[in-house]
Amino acid sequence: MNKNYKEIKPYMNPYLAGFLLGVLLLLTIFISGRGLGASGAVKSAVIAAANVINKNAPQVSDFFRTQENPLKSWLVFEVVGVIFGAFLSGFISNRLTWKIDKGPGIKNYTRIIFAVVGGALFGIGSQFGRGCTSGAALSGMAVFSAGGFLTMMAIFGTGYVLAYFFRKLWL
Amino acid sequence: MGPLIPQNIISGDLNFFFAFLIGVAFGYILEQAGFSSSRKLAGVFYGYDFVVLKVFFTAGITAATGVFFFSYLGWLDMDMVYVNPLYVNSAIVGGVIMGFGFIMGGFCPGTGIVGAVIGKIDAIFFVIGIFIGVFIFGYFFNSFEPVYHANYKGSMFVHDALGMSQPWFLFVLVIVAIAAFIITQKIQDKSTRFKELISNTQSLKATWPAAFIIILAFIAILLPKERVSYLSEISSVKLTEEIRNPKRKLPPERIAYSIIHNLNDIVLVDVRSPQEYSDFHFPGAINVPVNQILKPEFKDIAFVENKKTVFYSNGGQLSEIAWLASARAGKKNIYILAGGLNNFIKVIFGDVPKSEVKDIMELSDRKFIESAKRFFIEGELSKRQIISSKPLSSPETTKKAKGGC
Repeated sequence: MNKNYKEIKPYMNPYLAGFLLGVLLLLTIFISGRGLGASGAVKSAVIAAANVINKNAPQVSDFFRTQENPLKSWLVFEVVGVIFGAFLSGFISNRLTWKIDKGPGIKNYTRIIFAVVGGALFGIGSQFGRGCTSGAALSGMAVFSAGGFLTMMAIFGTGYVLAYFFRKLWL
Repeated sequence: MGPLIPQNIISGDLNFFFAFLIGVAFGYILEQAGFSSSRKLAGVFYGYDFVVLKVFFTAGITAATGVFFFSYLGWLDMDMVYVNPLYVNSAIVGGVIMGFGFIMGGFCPGTGIVGAVIGKIDAIFFVIGIFIGVFIFGYFFNSFEPVYHANYKGSMFVHDALGMSQPWFLFVLVIVAIAAFIITQKIQDKSTRFKELISNTQSLKATWPAAFIIILAFIAILLPKERVSYLSEISSVKLTEEIRNPKRKLPPERIAYSIIHNLNDIVLVDVRSPQEYSDFHFPGAINVPVNQILKPEFKDIAFVENKKTVFYSNGGQLSEIAWLASARAGKKNIYILAGGLNNFIKVIFGDVPKSEVKDIMELSDRKFIESAKRFFIEGELSKRQIISSKPLSSPETTKKAKGGC
């Protein structure tokens, strides 16, 4: 460890963070006419990769069909920004460390397996929901979208129903 | 005014640059809020840390209140904003699957990326998982498609779905948010688990911007139902006055004169259907069907500074509607072709009466009409149309913002 151990700074007040995030979202809608997102960038990357690896990918599934370069999309640029922004924040607040967050009662590999499975489910779900927590739920709420509210309630509702069964992962 | 990029107020080329900057701020705020930790995120389901709910709900009501006021004041055209379309079955199926993903993985895609960037190994594996999941969905997309497209309701607004007015919905949403903030705070304070996770600035000062937004949202229900004014809307008294002004109707001769001498002092707006427009229109006229007259994409083409905008239709009815809508929205220097195309044809192409000429004015009028007739009928016009570089058809329309996560 570094001798000049720097103290990890506290997190931002959640109401202030929420306010700033809301203003950012409003600004995004005002400038670009659309909300924030995340999973859409993964979708673009997957489509691009599928087309590079297999030229016949569009015949395998309509999902891989693409006219222009899928990486030239708003969300891809936004997520590249997210990577920079998160790194900047972690750097400023001294939170850049290799670490596994998990409940105290489980092993590291259990956490990793569930992380991959959870990620995969989120990947599938975000395509059905036409957006994830940011793109469908949060941005949907901002523009009063019925679809956004429905997806949000389904995400968190399911989470609460299942919380008991997966408590060992976290408690 | 907004959204800026779909309306080409800011060049579309800059869109990606803004996307990047917005992303930087998004990533920064998420990380500062503590969303890079799966244990903090999962806390919302177990009652030891409600940071997700606090940040998410505050951001949601802030943005929703802002969107409400921006569109109320005419600063944001909701027709051009991406509103997530509602496919009922798919939205529920997707949400439930994401609920499973959340409780098992501890992240959502945005927060997963943020966690991965600052070195959370579980987040890195979560992000790998998202790629796998999206690929699985893509690979089997053709089999999922029936569910994916079932029960389509369009870009439905939540207040319409509930049969509420928009400000009242916002009001209820804010009440629910405040109740949730108070209740969850009590639960969190009682919980004895993982107190070390909740390390955030507890300063009361930091909460006042959110409190301000809540007050603003309450004001929404006190506003009159119909918005009183667009930014430039004129009063009904002034509108009545302008309707009565006979000068707003330009006679056919005036239009003909301008076309013949290429004065370039008028913008001719054909408010009929594109079909009728393609059958016949004045040289240089643009086609803006009457129901689209106030669409932002035509704003700079139909209303040009220092030029008269002249609406015309077959009779006078459609052009009258276009004129009224434009006048009410505060457009200046607008006119209609008196009597429409029918009258124009009658006056310019009709027989010039052979009766005696009363005075010199009338003689000059007749001479003009005769020359105009020659101009329009005997081909001079068609010659010019070929060399004319003026756009003869309506311009490419701007597109509504694309969205999707």
